[in-house]
Amino acid sequence: MKTFQDLILALHDFWRREGCAIVEPYDLEKGAGTFNPATFFGVLGPRPWRVAYVEPSRRPADGRYGENPIRFGLHHQYQVILKPPPADIQDLYLRSLEAIGLNLREHDVKFSHDDWESPTLGAWGVGWQIWLDGMEITQFTYFQQMGGVDLDPVSVELTYGLERIALFLQGVDSAFDLRWAGWLTYGELFRERERQFSVYHFEKASVERARTMFDFHEAEARECLSLGLVYPAYDHTLRCSHLFNTLDARGALATAERESYIARVRALARACAEVYLAEVVRAGAFG
Amino acid sequence: MPALLVEIGVEDLPAEEAADIAQSFRENLLSGLREARLSFGKARLFWTLRRFSLLLEDLAERQEDAVEEVRGPAVSVGLDPQGNPTPAAEGFLRRYGAGPADLVRKRVGEKEYLFLRLRRPGRPAEEILKEIIPQAVRLIPCSKFMRWDGGMPFLRPIRWVVAILGDKIIPLELAGVSAGRKTFGHRFFGRSLALAKPEEYVAKMKEVRVIVDPEERAGILREAIRAVEEEYGAKAALSEDLWTMILGQTEWPNPVVGRIPREFLGLPEPVVVAALREEGKFVPFTRAGEIAEVFLGFAEGEGNPEVIRRGYERVVGIRLRDAMDFFAQDRRRTLESRVPELKGIVYEARLGTVWDRVERIRALCRALARELSLPQDLLDRAAFLCKADLLTVMVREFPELEGVMGGIYARLDGERPEVAAAISEHVRPRGKGDELPQTPLGIALSLADKLDGVIGPICVGEVPTGSRDPYGVRRRGSAIVRLILEKGLRLQLFRVIEEVRPAYPGTEPAETVKKFLWERLRSALEERGISYDVAEAVLFEMDGDFLGVWERAQALQALVGRKELSDLALAFSRVRNITRGHEIQGFDPGLFQEEAENALWQAYLEAKERVERALAQHQPAQALEALLGLKSPIDRYFDDVLVMCEDQKLRENRLGFLLALSRLFLRVADLSRLVVPT
Repeated sequence: MKTFQDLILALHDFWRREGCAIVEPYDLEKGAGTFNPATFFGVLGPRPWRVAYVEPSRRPADGRYGENPIRFGLHHQYQVILKPPPADIQDLYLRSLEAIGLNLREHDVKFSHDDWESPTLGAWGVGWQIWLDGMEITQFTYFQQMGGVDLDPVSVELTYGLERIALFLQGVDSAFDLRWAGWLTYGELFRERERQFSVYHFEKASVERARTMFDFHEAEARECLSLGLVYPAYDHTLRCSHLFNTLDARGALATAERESYIARVRALARACAEVYLAEVVRAGAFG
Repeated sequence: MPALLVEIGVEDLPAEEAADIAQSFRENLLSGLREARLSFGKARLFWTLRRFSLLLEDLAERQEDAVEEVRGPAVSVGLDPQGNPTPAAEGFLRRYGAGPADLVRKRVGEKEYLFLRLRRPGRPAEEILKEIIPQAVRLIPCSKFMRWDGGMPFLRPIRWVVAILGDKIIPLELAGVSAGRKTFGHRFFGRSLALAKPEEYVAKMKEVRVIVDPEERAGILREAIRAVEEEYGAKAALSEDLWTMILGQTEWPNPVVGRIPREFLGLPEPVVVAALREEGKFVPFTRAGEIAEVFLGFAEGEGNPEVIRRGYERVVGIRLRDAMDFFAQDRRRTLESRVPELKGIVYEARLGTVWDRVERIRALCRALARELSLPQDLLDRAAFLCKADLLTVMVREFPELEGVMGGIYARLDGERPEVAAAISEHVRPRGKGDELPQTPLGIALSLADKLDGVIGPICVGEVPTGSRDPYGVRRRGSAIVRLILEKGLRLQLFRVIEEVRPAYPGTEPAETVKKFLWERLRSALEERGISYDVAEAVLFEMDGDFLGVWERAQALQALVGRKELSDLALAFSRVRNITRGHEIQGFDPGLFQEEAENALWQAYLEAKERVERALAQHQPAQALEALLGLKSPIDRYFDDVLVMCEDQKLRENRLGFLLALSRLFLRVADLSRLVVPT
């Protein structure tokens, strides 16, 4: 049987052979692998770029106290960036599914229209959700803009939902029953954690302190930007984004206020993209 | 003559847009051929989400030759007095390689010029197609354009192009792809394939597991749906959107039937229907207003049906579990307690928040309750609550449940059943073919909702023009007219609009809204089979009683083609023409001299009473019947009476009477606008 870690290793192996650098998850909270600097900065500018990595992604509002078989406050994305994308990118993606052990001739595979947008990153692209027997297992996006900047060349982002794919590979109905390793289940690793974070995000997180922290990190990001320190500025932007998600899950934001928080994060992300292009790429100090 | 096949291979198009893309490709290509004077026979359009293709029979091998006239110098300059070419004309001839014998004279305006008639031999079809095929793709209006490698932008990347004329490849380039004869079959159950000639397209594609003909796919879908309906005694809950999606999602559809776990069958039927239909995934079924335990999906290709069914059931279970969570979460609060939070949702920058919108809908409902004699308090309660479900998780997750969810939650909150029903109905009709609300309060609330959606945007200057209608004002306008006509609502619509206008920002007057709706009424009449001139005859003057206009139009339409009507129209035209431009109030029957005058006067009095009674009883057919009796007296009047006589007093008295007669007619219709056979 293919364990969760086998799945990760198989994807690493597949994309390593396709010329991707296998990088590590970024060490800050984020809602999706797209926020990893290897993607956010990697897709900006002209330089070709191929990376792959696992990203534990936190979406506080998606938490279900560990009681829903497939919804979590933290799930695992497998993220691939191909810049520029090869012409046979759809086939390449499908071959990666075969490589992890899915026999596609057994299943119903559809590329279902789903244009992706991240209001907080000022990013959008067009593409699909890939449905395997009706379940979304991957988001496939041709990025068109990041941080409000038109991309040239464009990148393809593949985001695999690892828990969902593992359900198929292991033939179980609840992610908590998945084998992470032969001796360890996903439930043992994460169920209690899911419960605690749901309690925290939905019931206990201090709204007042979260707002204060948001303001603090926003100010810090601004300060860093004014000094041309784009990487530290971006870290503070990520923290703002996560604090916004926390406030949102806590139900603390009325609709109009919610919009204004999103706009504040987006403004920071845009500024990071601009400073990066102006100072880092132009100065050749890339990376 | 050879056949032509063009197939554009793309990465998966959005299922909801694939048919439109194909259709517009067909139109562009055919109009390109017509412009290029290339004749063709039958055209067949095919598409799936991965390709759109046109198969043309009997394409001309060359363009038709064309004759072109080129203007040279004026005759006075180009020919000497003896009629021989001057150096100016010789230069002109040299430029086109022609001789003096080719010259013709032609007058343009005041002057005569020398012309050359040049024969332009038609170019070969292949050459023309190289230009117009790429152009036909470039001109397709996509909902969104993407870039993929720096080439031309399109809806999705273009990956292959087949272009064969007869048995030859047309060497063209599109989006960096060279055309050839190689196409691709089904992604998992087909293979690539070289097409020898256009005619074998449909059959060869089937060999590689692609049904390119959407009609054939539709047949498979319909058959599968019918089979489930029969086996389970249930009815498919299809929607137009769902049908478009399932038709667009597969190249080789295979029906797979799944079952909904029992634990979810207790959810409200609309919730289960919405969850299954979401993103065009599954066809739900209902039985006697309840959700049936089966659903149907269409797999792409020939995978293992058991494996796929298990997958479908799992994903349905996950989504329905979500729906149960949302339901429980929403039920922790009443709908009423959410209303103030509508102040936080911006409806439109100039038109304020959804709270503001609700306040305006309430004002409209006050006026409508009076016009339609409805219980003011209940209608107001429904209006107050009608948008609160926008703040529920369920509606955020399933936008198609807007209104419906409000109705369900209102009922559970203990609101009056008619209030709950009005809330759930008020979003209808969502589109052209959608059902109308049924309950009186639901109808009124829907009307108020649509009116707000028309008055608001128009008042701030968003009057729809041409194809531009970002606020969907036209759709809502049509819904307003439909509600009034089909639900038989007798009200003074214009009075309502004038009354609420002060509650709206912007500078456009109520008049603009009235005119806009009047035009929607005109379209509605024409859509319902009222001929153009009959519509003109009843629409000559704006009137806020749309139902009355519609009834008069129907009564008049029923008489079209009958001689009495055209005779009456001619008689009335005489009245209308002679009184045109005169504005005389009042007349004295005592001054009538001729017998014909008195006869018409008597006939008028009798008709007037009948017309007024008929109109008061909303029986315009009877009013028309009464007017028909005036035909002979009018004809006799014009035979015997000189209206425009010398005596001013007599003349004005006669005109005054005819004006009164005219006004009587106009209460029914301006018959002078009818097109009368001569």
